[in-house]
Amino acid sequence: MNRRDFLKLSALAVSVTSGVPGFLARAAAQAGGDKTLVVIQLTGGNDGLNTLVPYSNGAYYAARPHIAVTRKDVLTLNADLGMHPGLKPLMKFWDAGQLGWLENVGYPNPNRSHFASMAIWHTADPTQAASDGWIGRIAQTIGDPFCASNIGNATPLALQAADFSLPSLSSVDSFQVKLPAGVQGAFEAMLGEPRQGEAAYLQQATKQMLLNTARVQNNLGKYRSGAQYPEGKFAASLQDIARLIAGGNGQRVLYTSLGSFDTHAGQRAEQDELLGELAAGLAAFQADLEMQGLADKVVVMGFSEFGRRVAENDSAGTDHGQGSVMFVLGRGVKGGIHGDSPDLENLADGDIRYKQDFRGVYAQALDHWLKLPSPQILGGQFSGPAWLN
Amino acid sequence: MPLTPRTTPLSLTDAAHLLRRTGFGATEAQIHALVGRTPQAAADELLTFSAETLPTPFQPLGAVSPGAAIKLMQAAWLREMVLTPHPLRERLTLLWSNHFVIGTDKVKNVSALEGYLSALRTHALGRFGDLALAAVQTPAVLRYLDNDQNKKGKPNENLGRELLELFTAGIGHYSENDVKEGARALTGWTYQGGRGNKQFAQPQTFTFNARQHDAGVKTYLGQSGQFGGEDIVRLAAAHPATADRVAFKLWQAFVSDAPDPAGQAALADVLRQNGGDLRQTLAALLGSQDFYAATGRIIRSPVDFVVGALRASGRQDFSEKTYLSLTTSLARLGQELLHPPTVKGWDGGREWINDGTLLLRMQVAAALSLGQPKNPALSSVPPSALALLGRPDLPPAFAKLGPAQRTYLMLVSPEYQLL
Repeated sequence: MNRRDFLKLSALAVSVTSGVPGFLARAAAQAGGDKTLVVIQLTGGNDGLNTLVPYSNGAYYAARPHIAVTRKDVLTLNADLGMHPGLKPLMKFWDAGQLGWLENVGYPNPNRSHFASMAIWHTADPTQAASDGWIGRIAQTIGDPFCASNIGNATPLALQAADFSLPSLSSVDSFQVKLPAGVQGAFEAMLGEPRQGEAAYLQQATKQMLLNTARVQNNLGKYRSGAQYPEGKFAASLQDIARLIAGGNGQRVLYTSLGSFDTHAGQRAEQDELLGELAAGLAAFQADLEMQGLADKVVVMGFSEFGRRVAENDSAGTDHGQGSVMFVLGRGVKGGIHGDSPDLENLADGDIRYKQDFRGVYAQALDHWLKLPSPQILGGQFSGPAWLN
Repeated sequence: MPLTPRTTPLSLTDAAHLLRRTGFGATEAQIHALVGRTPQAAADELLTFSAETLPTPFQPLGAVSPGAAIKLMQAAWLREMVLTPHPLRERLTLLWSNHFVIGTDKVKNVSALEGYLSALRTHALGRFGDLALAAVQTPAVLRYLDNDQNKKGKPNENLGRELLELFTAGIGHYSENDVKEGARALTGWTYQGGRGNKQFAQPQTFTFNARQHDAGVKTYLGQSGQFGGEDIVRLAAAHPATADRVAFKLWQAFVSDAPDPAGQAALADVLRQNGGDLRQTLAALLGSQDFYAATGRIIRSPVDFVVGALRASGRQDFSEKTYLSLTTSLARLGQELLHPPTVKGWDGGREWINDGTLLLRMQVAAALSLGQPKNPALSSVPPSALALLGRPDLPPAFAKLGPAQRTYLMLVSPEYQLL
C-alpha cells in the first residue's frame, strides 16, 4: 500500500463520526502507554519438571526412570535447578539476568481437562463462571478493540471481551484489505451510505478495520530487522509481533501460541523439539528487539494450562497434572528463580502442589508493566513474586 | 402478553426475511414462491421435515486419523446445510449444538458425533424434555462432560452441573445441593466402545452401568425419590425457568441479538402452555408480528454468512475440496462446527465481528464471488439483491458493475452481515 492509498482509506474510515458505537468512539485515544506484554501460550500442558529440572532431587529421577533429563544434560542455573538442554538459546538471557522462572504456579481445585484448565487461565477465573478473557477485560478497560491481538488463526478466549472480540491476525502480511479490481469506487459509495442500528455498527466496524489494517501496513516500513529467525510458524509469529511493535501500532498485549505439549507417550522426543523451537524463536525475537532499540519496552510471559504428573507413565510419557512453571523474559524482567521448587515427596494425588496463584503473576504484569488496575481486571487483589525490575 | 399473530399475507421482502432467518438464505425463485401465503401456512410448511439426510460423499470412517475424520464430518455437515431441502432442520440442529455443547477437542469418535447430530435432528422440533434427554444420553455429551467418570461414591459433577446451569434452568434457579444430587442420579450413565483416540472409527453406544449407579434416595429441585438420570433430566427440563432459557435462545436465533424481555416472556409462556413442544412454539414465533417486525437485528454467524451465500446462488453442488476449505474458513471466522470455544457455546451477535474476522469475511466473499482457479465460484449463477440483501432493488452504486463484482460488494456490505 502506498501513502496515497493509506490516506484515502483513512479518510474513508473516519468520515462517519456520529452515532459511533461506544467502544469504537473511545478507541485509539486512550490506548496510552508504550510498554508491550507478549504472552506465549504453550498449548497442551507443558511438563514443568522437565523444563526447569530439579536435578539434585533423587525423587525426580526415581519418578522418571526413562524420561528424566540427566544431570549431565541440564543447563545448570543453581545448585538444584537446571534448564532442559533444548532451552540453550535462552542461557545468555539467564546470564544477563533477563530470564525469570516462576515456580509452582497454579490455582485452587485444579482441573485436569485441557479445555477447562485453559479456560481458567484465559478467564483468570478458577470457578469457571467468567465468559470473557483477562486480556479482553484489558481492552474493555482501555476502550480500544485494537489494543491487543492474537497472532494465529482463531481468537483465544483470553482475548474475548464482554462486548466485542479482539482480532486474530493469521499473519501481519495478510492483515490488509485487497479489493478486487474495479470495485474501489462502488465499495466506497456503498460504505458511505448512511445507516442505522446494527448496520451502522457493522459499517463503523468495517471502517475501523480499514483504518487499522491500513495503519499496520503503513507502519511496517518502520521495521528494520537484522535478526535471523529460525524456520517455522512460531518464529514467524514472533517476528510478526516484533514488526507490530516496531510499527508503533499502539498494541499493549500481543499473544501467540506454540503446541502441542500433550506428551502422553514418547515425551522426550516431542517436548525436546518443542522447547528447542520455543527457545530459538524467543532468542531471535529478543535479538531483534535489541537491534531495533525496543528491548526496554517489551516483556514476554509464558504459561501452559497445567504441568504433568510427576511420575512417568508406561508409554514413556506423562499424563495431565497440575501446577507448573511460568517463564518471563526481557530487559524489564528480574531474572532468577521466583518461588520455591515443588516438594516431590509431598504430592497431591500424584501431582505437585501449587503454591503461587497464577493471577498473582498476571497482577504484576498489569500493575507494574502495563500500569493497569489488576483488581478490576482480575476480579480481586492477587499478589505474586516481584518479577519485574 | 401473548405473541400477536401476523395476519397479512407475505410480501416479497417478508418472504425473503422468513427464508433468510429459517434457512440461511434462498434463491429469488424460492422467495417469489412464498409471496401471498399466510405467515402461518408458510411457517407450517417450513416446520415439516424428516430427520433423513442426503447421501454424502464424505466418509469419515475411512480417515487416517481422528483429526481427519472430524474434518470430514464438519465438511459433511456443511454440505448438508447447503443442499438439504430442509434448511430449518439444520439451522435448529446448529442451534441445539450450541446449547447442548460438545467439542471435538474431547469427542473424537465418528459414531459419537454422528449419534449426537442425529439426536439433535430427530428431536429438533419435539418436546424440549425429549430433546434434552436424547442429547444428554449421547456418548458425545457423556464424554464431553466426563460422565463416564461419574461413579457411585466417586461423583464427577460436570454433567450434573451443566445440565442445570446451561442446558435447563440456569444459574439462580438451583442450589449446589441440586448439582450434587443430580450427579448422584447420573452415576452409571456411560458409553461402550471407541475409547481412546485411535479407536475413533469404532462405534460408541450409550450404556447404563448399574454397578456404578447410586440407587439411593436423592432430593432434586424440591422433589425426593430414588431418582435415576432420566428422572433428573426430566425434572430439570420441566423446571419453569427452563422455558425462559429456551425462549431466550430461540429469540436470539430467530428474532434479535438484542434482548426483548417482553417478547421472550411471551415466547416462554407459549413453551410452557404447550408442555415444551418446540414445533408449536416455533410455529407461534414464526407466525408472529414480532418475527416479521425485527429486520436486520441478528448479526450473521460465519455459518449464516457462508451457507447463506451458497444457498442464495441456488447452485446445486460444489466439490468436496470446496466444502473442506469452507469448513476451515468457518473455523477461522470463529465458528468451527462441533467445536465451540467453551461449554457455554458461541455467544454470537457482535462477538462474531472484529478486525480479523471482518477482513476474512471480505476474503471469503472474494473467493465465493470471483472464484479461484481450482475453486469455481458462485458467479455462474449470481444471486440477486433480493436473495442476498432482502431488497428487490440493487444499490445504485453497483449499477455499472458486472455480476461477480456486484455479488462481492453485496457480500461485504453491512446489510449482508445481518439476517
